[in-house]
Amino acid sequence: MKQRRKERIDRGTKARSDDIFALTSYREMLYVAVPPVLPVIALLVMPLILPPYWQKVLLQTTIFALLAISWDFLVSVGMVSLGQALFFGMGAYVAGCLDHYAGLPIWLTIPLATVFGGALCTVLLLPVLRLRGVYFSMVTLVLPLMLERIIEATGMLGGTEGLTGIKPFGNSWVEMYVVIIVLLIALFGFRRLVTTDYGLVLKAIKDNDRSVMSAGINIYWMKAQALFISGSVGSFCGAYITHVYMFVGMPDFALDYSILPLASAVVGGMGTFAGSVMGAFILVPLSEALRNVGGLRIVLYAMSLVVFIVLLPEGIFHYIQRKYQQFERWVEVEG
Amino acid sequence: MLEVSNLMVFYENALALNDFSMKVEQGNIIAIIGSNSAGKTTLMNTLSGLILDTKIKEQRKGGERITLYGTIRFESEDITNVQPYDRVKRGMVLCRERHPIFPESDLVENLKIAGYLQKSSEVSAGVDYVFRLFPTLVRLKSRKAGFLSGGEQQMLTIGMALMVKPKMLLLDEPLLGLSPLMQNTLVDAIKKIRAETGLTIVITEQFARPILPMIDHGYIIENGMLTMEGSGIELMDNPEVKAAYFGV
Repeated sequence: MKQRRKERIDRGTKARSDDIFALTSYREMLYVAVPPVLPVIALLVMPLILPPYWQKVLLQTTIFALLAISWDFLVSVGMVSLGQALFFGMGAYVAGCLDHYAGLPIWLTIPLATVFGGALCTVLLLPVLRLRGVYFSMVTLVLPLMLERIIEATGMLGGTEGLTGIKPFGNSWVEMYVVIIVLLIALFGFRRLVTTDYGLVLKAIKDNDRSVMSAGINIYWMKAQALFISGSVGSFCGAYITHVYMFVGMPDFALDYSILPLASAVVGGMGTFAGSVMGAFILVPLSEALRNVGGLRIVLYAMSLVVFIVLLPEGIFHYIQRKYQQFERWVEVEG
Repeated sequence: MLEVSNLMVFYENALALNDFSMKVEQGNIIAIIGSNSAGKTTLMNTLSGLILDTKIKEQRKGGERITLYGTIRFESEDITNVQPYDRVKRGMVLCRERHPIFPESDLVENLKIAGYLQKSSEVSAGVDYVFRLFPTLVRLKSRKAGFLSGGEQQMLTIGMALMVKPKMLLLDEPLLGLSPLMQNTLVDAIKKIRAETGLTIVITEQFARPILPMIDHGYIIENGMLTMEGSGIELMDNPEVKAAYFGV
């Protein structure tokens, strides 16, 4: 009986360009260059052609993409966070306070909020770094909700009213392109980072933290660093949004900022960062487009999430990447 | 009793088992001898059906595709696509490599968990039988299984497999990581099991020396290919086997 099986083989260009970079023709160079360059061009051009409403959606999408990247980075170190809202809210409040109480200019508040927000989150989560798996997730889920209630109960930092009258960017083009450029830097920076030795150690912590310990590396120090990096990205988003909306308040700790980045990363494909961005660029505009549907919006949104996850559990990006880098053919099985 | 014909297993494009066929008669001890990466564990996972589960999991995360060809017949029924839990119900029980046990439960609890499919009277009889077979386990009765030594855990896993009252016992590298003394204890226990219950046993192993004397028929595989087969004595007398596995 003749039987056939589908064989998947890496394209020659992929095998050669994977680490040795011996590209011999323009065709091969294009093959390697197009996937990263195409989205860069698309992102840079999009604000120019989109109508004003969709520009706002684009802004929101890039923020969620950044949050998804920071979530993805934490996951690749083995910390499954359910509280990106903590990072987001922390950055928002630090930026808001610096602006409201100290009156610092916008080009100072955002960088300061990025660093201090990240540092504050790291300090807050330091005691639970030793927890693994679901226990760490639970603490991160609860912390932003707790901070929200603390602000409500004590009335500090504006209480339920929040702080209003924060300085805006002034120029909508600057506003738009700042976040797009930060997203591109984060995307390619993180993709590079995880391939360096430093990134390898971080990934190793996820795979087997005990063997990393026995290699003489302090995993808690490494985890704290990863938390700071991820927290800074999240805090940047918060600080930025604060200045866009000219307002900082309790909604910055909302569950949306925890769940949507997670959903984006899962739909897009975890561990690649590009997948997270892709997921955010599918889910956020989808949720906006469904606004016309009215009451059934959440139902349709949830259903599309289920469809994505059931049909492509590995993530859209992984799937596309595989199709791009490999070709398939039927071969006969001998024997 | 068991008939494997033209079994081929691919992990993505790599061939782990190539056109492997074997036959196991009722009441025999069969050994499959091979070095690392010969495909022994793949064969055991395929026989027990665990590979079907791995296949689905790999498919879901977009990992390596596992492809199976060939047929496995157990008691003249085709079980190639039968789920592992159904194979256990039909009497085919695998004792996996590196003795996975429930580390948080104590020894007797582990045995009881393994006797899930049995009636409670059968379970207590089974526990007694395991203690008779491995007297060293008696004084460790209430110790947590995670705190047992490697050899004790190996005895426990074989005990757990026996609790299911198999018709055919598959042992995947039972001697792995054990001291020569412990290896002898286990080999004696395996002989005893066969003598007392007439169980059919299939063993994969890389240490041929303690295994070959007790088997009825042996297969030697290299890189997924069957290179030699014969009775235990025949294999022991073969100069190539001697050179490769006895270091003579």
